[in-house]
Amino acid sequence: MGEVIVDSLTKKFGEVTALDDVSFEVPAGEFVIILGVSGSGKSTLLRCMSALTKPTSGEIRIRGQPMTRPRPEVAMIFQQHNIIGDLSAYSNALSGGMNRSGFFESLLQLQDDDDKYRALEALDTVGLLEEAQQKSRRMSGGQQQRVGIARALVQEPEVLLADEPVASLDPGSAQDVMQYLGAASEERELTTFISLHQVNIARKFGERFIGLRDGQKVFDGYRDELTIDVIDNIYGDIDTEGMFVSQSGDSETEATP
Amino acid sequence: MSDESDPEVASDGGTATGGDGVNRDSRLTEQYERIRQRRRRRAIASVGLVTFVLFVFVQGLSATELLDGDFTWEHFGTSLRNYFPTTTFGPGVPFLDLGQYTAFIIDRNLLFDPEIASLLLEGRFYTFFFEELGMFAIFGQAGITLAMGVVGTIMGFPFALMFGVLGSERVTPFPFNFIFRGSMSFIRAIPALVWTLIFIPLAGLGPAAATFAIAFDTIGNLGRLFVDELEEIADGPIEAMETTGASKPQTIVFGMLSQVKTSFIAWTLYILEINVRIAVTVGVYGAGGLGQVVESQQGLLNWTEVMATLLCIFVLIITVELFSQRLRSRLRSDDEVMGLKELITGFPRRMAESVMK
Repeated sequence: MGEVIVDSLTKKFGEVTALDDVSFEVPAGEFVIILGVSGSGKSTLLRCMSALTKPTSGEIRIRGQPMTRPRPEVAMIFQQHNIIGDLSAYSNALSGGMNRSGFFESLLQLQDDDDKYRALEALDTVGLLEEAQQKSRRMSGGQQQRVGIARALVQEPEVLLADEPVASLDPGSAQDVMQYLGAASEERELTTFISLHQVNIARKFGERFIGLRDGQKVFDGYRDELTIDVIDNIYGDIDTEGMFVSQSGDSETEATP
Repeated sequence: MSDESDPEVASDGGTATGGDGVNRDSRLTEQYERIRQRRRRRAIASVGLVTFVLFVFVQGLSATELLDGDFTWEHFGTSLRNYFPTTTFGPGVPFLDLGQYTAFIIDRNLLFDPEIASLLLEGRFYTFFFEELGMFAIFGQAGITLAMGVVGTIMGFPFALMFGVLGSERVTPFPFNFIFRGSMSFIRAIPALVWTLIFIPLAGLGPAAATFAIAFDTIGNLGRLFVDELEEIADGPIEAMETTGASKPQTIVFGMLSQVKTSFIAWTLYILEINVRIAVTVGVYGAGGLGQVVESQQGLLNWTEVMATLLCIFVLIITVELFSQRLRSRLRSDDEVMGLKELITGFPRRMAESVMK
């Protein structure tokens, strides 16, 4: 299935080293959160994993095959969601399955019924079945991001990559989107990688965590290993006190009901 | 503190009322001096620029023989008067004789062809639309001009789209995209008028050759606008389509063209406006429509008739532009599209709102 191996991955942009010899192995079905401040290399790592960016050296193997170009079994969700504003939520979701249909089929929306029901099912998973016919440009930011998730699900991937999916959303929508992402990945047994910079959200949803700092992997472990010291290390000199207040607040509200 | 600069500031700016008594912060006066000098340099540069433009203008006047031009204003005045026939109104008041214009417009079917229209009045819709194909013919000579512009635009559009997309660097890598950009530049370099002359051996001198020429011209102009528009698009949706495993044509249509759909339609309408104008111009060279009427009447020295035709051209162009501009502004606005009923019944209210603004 969708096991992911990243082997001594290095990416340089001119003089700047964005990723410095990063390696890890993730078995199929794990829910991984990549932590780090802006500029720590999270986006570059995910872009390399989806083959949108070519690494300087090192290799990524998904299902044992090196990622040299984008593949249908690896889906990507973007911070700016990158859905097509002129199309309806349904058409956007359907566009995720384009690798299974020919050019004119997809142009005239003549995909077979299986694909069309898959799109509706994905919209249902992200809670947008009723809004299927709405033009996506007129939807809210959180809804647009959920359309992006639906599109990724219609692709029927084994690996789901999400680059800062909630960074430009308000806290409420961010929670929603993370919940839908978690549900979708559990339901479909996807190997999921989500990059985040908010520790509180990460703690709440994550299973395994990979910490990046200045392009280097500084942490790789599961929820119980993610201590205050580890987070201090990932976030460097930044005052993390505030983050922990909100984080403990989160766990409290979680515990009360 | 700043004894040196104080008097200068006071005398120049006139802001200091206390004369010597005013004591200003030296950092402020320094900055004030810097701003003043910078403005002085700019003023000198502007004067220099204006002088240069005037110099170029005079050189140009000489080249265009405007300097020693021998103008016959009186003759020009008399000939202008020919365009405006007068009639006496009541007790000898001279008045523009609009009747002569309308008589010519009706006589020569410039705006309206009663024979074709009678089919509609008799309710013979099938004959009108499918045997006579009378949609444009009902507008007489103006219909021919309009049809040249419309058909030229429609024929040119798919090629403009193809050349525009293939000329974009994102689709065709760098040196090769210049094959398409270059061909469009070549088409643009030759005016539509000359293209008409080139197509005469193919179709003879008439609306057909002119329409081919307009279609060709559209490839060059509209294609160029498409390429420019495609330079501006965001990478995000393209990358998103790539990660779904979409093929290259799918990525182009869904990732690129979907971003520019409305602006492509708007540019096409703009080119349609221009093409109708070109249709008038090529008509003057004998390709038919209103342009040809202008040419033939001018040859016969029928100035009143020329003016009547010019009025028809004005009506045609204004109508096309109004139509196209309203459509474009509707496309660009993000509001819900108005229904046809609202469009018609709501017109007086919207008009009143526009007046009140």
